[in-house]
Amino acid sequence: MQAGKTGACIRHCRSGDSEQGPGVSMMKRDVVYQAALLFIIGAVVYLVALTTQENLARLGVDSSIDFLWKRAGFEIGQKLIPFDAESTIARAFMVALLNTLLLAAVSIVCASVLGAIIGLARLSGNWLVSRLATAYIEIFRNIPSLLQIFFWYFVVLRTLPRSDESIEFFNCIFLNNRGLFVPAVSPGQGWEWIAAALFFGWAMIYFLRRQERRRHAAAGFKRAETTGTNPLASWNLLLLAGVAGVVILVGGAQWDVPREARFGYRGGLVMMPEFLSLVVGLSMYNATYIGEIVRSAFTSLPRGQTEAAASLGLPRHLTIRLVLFPQALRVIVPPLTTVYLNLFKSTSLAAAIAYPEVVSVFVGTVNNLVGQPVFIMAITMAVYVFISLCIALFLNWYNRKIALTVVS
Amino acid sequence: MIKTITNLTYVTGIIFLFFTGSQITDAGTLEEVRERGKLRCGIVESSPGFSSVNDAGQRVGFDIDHCKTISAAVFGEIRIEYVPVTPHTVFTLLQSGGIDIFPGGATWSFIRDVSMGLDYTGVYLYAGQGFLVRRDAGVKSVADLDGATICIAQGTTLEQNMADYFDDHGMSYTPVTFADMDKGLQAYHADRCDAFTNERMSTAGRIALWPDRAEHLILDDVISKEPFGALVRQDDPRWRDIALWSFNARIAAEELGVNQENVDAVRENTRNAEIQRLLGVHGEFGEKLGLSNDWAYHIIKLVGNYNDLWERNFTPLGVRRGLNASWKDGGLHSALPFR
Repeated sequence: MQAGKTGACIRHCRSGDSEQGPGVSMMKRDVVYQAALLFIIGAVVYLVALTTQENLARLGVDSSIDFLWKRAGFEIGQKLIPFDAESTIARAFMVALLNTLLLAAVSIVCASVLGAIIGLARLSGNWLVSRLATAYIEIFRNIPSLLQIFFWYFVVLRTLPRSDESIEFFNCIFLNNRGLFVPAVSPGQGWEWIAAALFFGWAMIYFLRRQERRRHAAAGFKRAETTGTNPLASWNLLLLAGVAGVVILVGGAQWDVPREARFGYRGGLVMMPEFLSLVVGLSMYNATYIGEIVRSAFTSLPRGQTEAAASLGLPRHLTIRLVLFPQALRVIVPPLTTVYLNLFKSTSLAAAIAYPEVVSVFVGTVNNLVGQPVFIMAITMAVYVFISLCIALFLNWYNRKIALTVVS
Repeated sequence: MIKTITNLTYVTGIIFLFFTGSQITDAGTLEEVRERGKLRCGIVESSPGFSSVNDAGQRVGFDIDHCKTISAAVFGEIRIEYVPVTPHTVFTLLQSGGIDIFPGGATWSFIRDVSMGLDYTGVYLYAGQGFLVRRDAGVKSVADLDGATICIAQGTTLEQNMADYFDDHGMSYTPVTFADMDKGLQAYHADRCDAFTNERMSTAGRIALWPDRAEHLILDDVISKEPFGALVRQDDPRWRDIALWSFNARIAAEELGVNQENVDAVRENTRNAEIQRLLGVHGEFGEKLGLSNDWAYHIIKLVGNYNDLWERNFTPLGVRRGLNASWKDGGLHSALPFR
C-alpha cells in the first residue's frame, strides 16, 4: 500500500513540487529562453509562409481561400448532411469531415471491443483460446493497414451478391455488393417526435437511476454498481422502446423503405461497402494493439488482487469487472490514446478505396479542381491536428479522472 | 503502399516549393536539363497504350514517346529520367521544378491554364470522356444511366464533367470516387458500379486484356471533349516553345510525308524547302530555340511522326484515329507552318 501511494505521488505531485523547488533567478532565465525559442520558431514559420506566398505569386498560382465559397460542381457518394453539385466547396469539406468522424468513431468502438476481447482471450486459461488470440495478433499486427483494407474491400465486393440477388431481411433490409440498405425515418414526418420521446425516456431513466442510487446510499452502499447487478437495466430498455413505439404509432412517422429501382435499390439508409470494409480493416488492425495493451495491463496487476477476490468468493466475471478492470484501466488509458490517435489518422487511408473522407474529397477532388495544394494541405493538416488534440485532451482528462478516484 | 508513396512525393513537392522555389527562374529549364544531362519527364504508370512496361522491361507507350520527343530535340538522343506521378502530385511537382514536362493526359481547360502557373504546349490528343457498361445491363446510351452508381477516378476534370452532364439532363447518379483509375476499374469489374467513366481511349487500353472483355461495352457517347496537352511551367516561355514545336514537328512531318523509316533518304534528296527547314538542311530554326539545327531530324529519326506513334501504340489496341487524323483526312491535327 505504502509503495503504491509513493508511486501515485511521483506521478501526480511532481508538477507541484517543481514550482516550489527552483529559485527565482532560474525561473526568470527559463522564461527568457522559452521566449527566445518561441520567437525563433515564430520567425521561421513567418519566413516560410512569406517565401511560399512569394513563390506562388511569381508562379502565377492563385493563393487565397476564396475557393471555399465557390460552387463545388461535383457529387459525393456518402453525405450525412444535404449536399449536391450546387453547394459550396466549404460544405463539401464539412460533408467529408463528417464522413471521417463517422468512420473514426465507429472504428474506435469496434476496435476497442474487439481488442478487449482479444486481450482477455490471450490471458485465458484455455490453451486453444489463448493461442488463437496470439495467432490473430501476430498475423494482423504484421500486415500493413492499407493492404488489409484493400483485402477486405475486394473480399467484401466479391462475396456479397449482385443487386438482383440481394440478401433480404423482413422485406425491408437488403444486403448486396452496393451496400447495406436499411429503412430510414423520413425527415419532417414525425422523426422530431421520436427524438423528443427518446430524450424523454432517457431523462426518465436518469431520474430513476438517481432515485435508486439514493436508495442504495441510504442502505449503506457507496455506489449502486457495488452490488454488481442493476435491477432496473431491463426496465430501462423497455421504457425507452415503449415510449418511442407509442410515439411512432400515434405520431404516424413515415418509414423510407429501400425499394428496387432501375439500378439496384433506392431510398432508405445506405452503408457503403467501402465503409463496411474500412471499419473491418481498421478495427482488426488496431484491435491487435489494444489487445496487447489490455493484456499487459492485466498482467501488470499484482496476483494478490485476483487471489484476494477469489478468497472473498467473487466469481471470475465479477473479479474482472469489479477488481481487475478498474485497476487495469489506469494502465490502459495512456497507451490507448496513442492507438486511438493512430486509428483516427489512418482513416485517411480510406481515400484509396473511394470512401469520401477528408483526404479523398479535399486533397483529391477539390485540389484537382482549384489547384492550390499548399492551402488545401494546410487546411487539411490543421483539421487533423485539431481533432487529434481534442481526442488526446479528452483521454487525458479521462485518465486524470480515473487515476484520482483510484488513488484517493 | 501507393498512398504512402503518393504522400511522400507530395510532401517533397511542397518542400521544393518552400525552399527551392527561388531557384526555378534563375536558370532556364533548357540549361537545367542540359546541365543535369537528363530530362525529368512526368508519367502516369501502367496505362496500356499510353505508358506501360513491355516484356523486355522497357517503358513504351504514347506518353513515353512524348518524353522521348523532347529528349531527342534537346539531346539528339534518349536521356530521360521518368518520374512516376499521380493526379495528386503532378501539379505540385511541375510548379516546384520536380519535373520538366508532363505529357500524361492533362486536359487543356481554362482554369488549369490560367490559375495554376502552368502552360499547355498544344494539343497532342483529342480525347473524350465516355462510359463503360456491362452489355447485359441494357444500357444503349448515356441517357439510360439515370439513377446509376458510377465508378470514377479523381484527378482530372472527369468528376465535374459528369456532374455537369447529369445536372443538365435532369438525371441523378451516385459517384464512387477512387484515387486511381485501376482501383476504380477493379471495383467496376467486381460489380460495385453500373458504369465506369473515364477517357475512352485509356479505358479501352486498360480493359483490352480482360478475359471477359466481350461482356463489356464502351458507349459511343462522349460527354466531354478532353483535349490533352503536355504541361510545362508558365515562367519559361522558351521551354514552352521547344515543347510546342517539337510536338508540332511530328504532325508537320506526317503532312509532309516524312516518317521514321524514310527520314534519312528524304533528308538527302528532298527539294521541298519546308522539309529542308524542318530537318535542318537549310535555315537555323533549331538555333533560334537554343537547340541544334537538326533537332527535328532527331525527333523523326528516334521517335517518328504522329502516325508512327499511333501505329506503334494504339493500332495494336484496335483504336482508330478518328478525330486524331490529319486535317487532310478529316481529323483535327493540323501542323503549324515551319517558315
